[in-house]
Amino acid sequence: MKVIEIKDVHKIYNETEIEVHAVNGVTLDFEEAEFAVIVGPSGSGKTTLLNLLGGLDLPTSGEILIDGTDLSKLKSSALIDFRMKNIGFVFQSYNLIPVLTAKENVEFIMSLQKWSKKEKDDRTFELLKGVGLAERANSRPAKLSGGQQQRIAVARALASRPKFVLADEPTANLDSKSAATLLEIMEKLNHEEKITFIFSTHDARVVKMARRVITLEDGKVISDEKLE
Amino acid sequence: MIFEIAWKNVWRNKTRSFVVISAVAVGVFAGVFLLAALNSSVVQRIDSAVNEELSHIQVNNKDFRSSSDIQNIIPDYKGVVSAIKATPGVKEITGRVIIRGIASTSARSMGVEINGIDVGKEKEMFSLSAKLIPGTGTYFETETKLNSVFIGEKLAKELNIIRYILTPDAFASLEAKKVPADVIIKLKPLSDQRFTSEKKFNRACETLLSSPESEKYSLMIREAAWSYRQGSKIIISFLDINGMQTGAAFRVCGIFRTNNDLFELKSLFVPISQLRTLTGMREGQFHRVIAKIDNNKHTNEISRKIKENLPGYEVLNWKEIQPDLAMMADLIQQIYALFMVLILSALAFGIVNTMLMAVLERTKELGMLMAIGMNRKRIFSMIMLESVFLSVVGGFAGMAVGEVVIAITGKTGINLVKYSEGMEAFGYSAHLFPTIEPQFFITTAILIILTGIISSIYPARKALKLNPVEAIRTE
Repeated sequence: MKVIEIKDVHKIYNETEIEVHAVNGVTLDFEEAEFAVIVGPSGSGKTTLLNLLGGLDLPTSGEILIDGTDLSKLKSSALIDFRMKNIGFVFQSYNLIPVLTAKENVEFIMSLQKWSKKEKDDRTFELLKGVGLAERANSRPAKLSGGQQQRIAVARALASRPKFVLADEPTANLDSKSAATLLEIMEKLNHEEKITFIFSTHDARVVKMARRVITLEDGKVISDEKLE
Repeated sequence: MIFEIAWKNVWRNKTRSFVVISAVAVGVFAGVFLLAALNSSVVQRIDSAVNEELSHIQVNNKDFRSSSDIQNIIPDYKGVVSAIKATPGVKEITGRVIIRGIASTSARSMGVEINGIDVGKEKEMFSLSAKLIPGTGTYFETETKLNSVFIGEKLAKELNIIRYILTPDAFASLEAKKVPADVIIKLKPLSDQRFTSEKKFNRACETLLSSPESEKYSLMIREAAWSYRQGSKIIISFLDINGMQTGAAFRVCGIFRTNNDLFELKSLFVPISQLRTLTGMREGQFHRVIAKIDNNKHTNEISRKIKENLPGYEVLNWKEIQPDLAMMADLIQQIYALFMVLILSALAFGIVNTMLMAVLERTKELGMLMAIGMNRKRIFSMIMLESVFLSVVGGFAGMAVGEVVIAITGKTGINLVKYSEGMEAFGYSAHLFPTIEPQFFITTAILIILTGIISSIYPARKALKLNPVEAIRTE
């Protein structure tokens, strides 16, 4: 079942007198429970493509359909709401809310969606256990290591059972041990939750674990490899 | 959740929040306390006006106030009293004979308003008898062959029946009040010298004392030297009912001290029977009927009803007699609100600045929140709540401290005796007992919350303008 359909998407920036074609005619599909990485040199358009997939930016032309919904046709408030319900984000620098505990960070999206307390508690416990940090539920981000913070960020991204998770260089700030643990956890959750994971990365360890590798160059897909 | 995050965000930078909260607290405390002090002077002034000088409502012959002619009596006193009594809310009524005259001693003469009063009734209705200066008499209670008069301290001073003498008793009293021995020694050359005015006495003291000593002890010295010979006589002359010049000697049966210099100087009181005998007025003849009511707040309504019932008379309430005071009383709420708005407006700039810094520092986090699903309404609410928390915590702390200080100073009073001359000339007490109505705290609380909301608009708009993609990239 197709979760994401990208149809001939272009993104052109006109910030200076020179037009920058950040994404140039990309057409891709993503199925349910995929574990895909987007690779390519710096400036190849990885982050721009991820921003377009996440509805954080809109394409200059082309269509991005999530479960059949065209993101560019949604109004600003509906797009935010759509993002909250359907897309999980994992950022390079974790971006947890520093004043909330690990548990509260994971619960945050569920609270915005007005889940009941019991539903929130059960889901949070399940996710914290899943990322191996149930015992740190009441710790604030500042008391956690980088790897632990990123695991909490993954739990947060999965909290409301989104259609897919976008992870922009999630291992970039982690040491190799933490990165390996994080990737194992993400792969496990990908299997268990049947949620599609799409990474942009330079990290060979991530690429090694992926079941699909999409390579971008100058905003174009130059290869799309599905691995067994 | 937004509520909780906003509250926690306030305490993220404790020092900065503490500074802005303290500024709000100090500002609100200053506003509340100053207004309580201002309010107390107005409340005390109204209380004095109603309970010592004017009463709530006065009814006169239509021509009485314009001509002050002794002939302008109330034609149907009993009818007037019945009409007033029949008005709901009226508590007590009495009548006065009021004539203009001259009070004199061998030293001075002063134009005065002579009030012939029903002594017993007036004692029940007014608190003027309680303003009797101890040691100056008994408020008409001592039998005397002469006529009796109750006068103000200011008039007594003008008529030179008050002296300032540093007697051995006065020195002993200064010692008891812990005035330093060297100050007392410096004053010895004035022993037993008689000064006929406060000014002359002060001047004599100032030549002997240093300026700080004078400033610190002059009030105590003056009080110790204040001397009055009980039963002093004054002559009061006036026109009788036939327009003939008449007058009599009156023994001063007491001296009162109020906060109103003009009232002390111009009003004196004698038993109504004595004044009638001297003027040839008959029993049952009055110039003015005065009434007190249950609740000062109903003054306008009750006086309007009495006016309707007594169309041929001049019916005035205290607000019409002293419109300046009425204006203060009526405008006081608006003055409070304006004053607080000014203070809070100044504080709002501090809150705006703090919130702008908070938004700037949290650009990346705000971008992340927008990305994961915080909509504009929630972002705005979060910034607004943070701003409201800052103002509410500071504001409520300021109000709490203000209430405690008002409760304490409301009992102990604030002595502004240094400025008493100026204040008492306008009828305001130099001893303030700060007081405030609970309604004021409600108004202040609403204004504080509004300040928080208004202060949040600009920083919140800044936050809403952030582009999540760019904000997340911010370092």
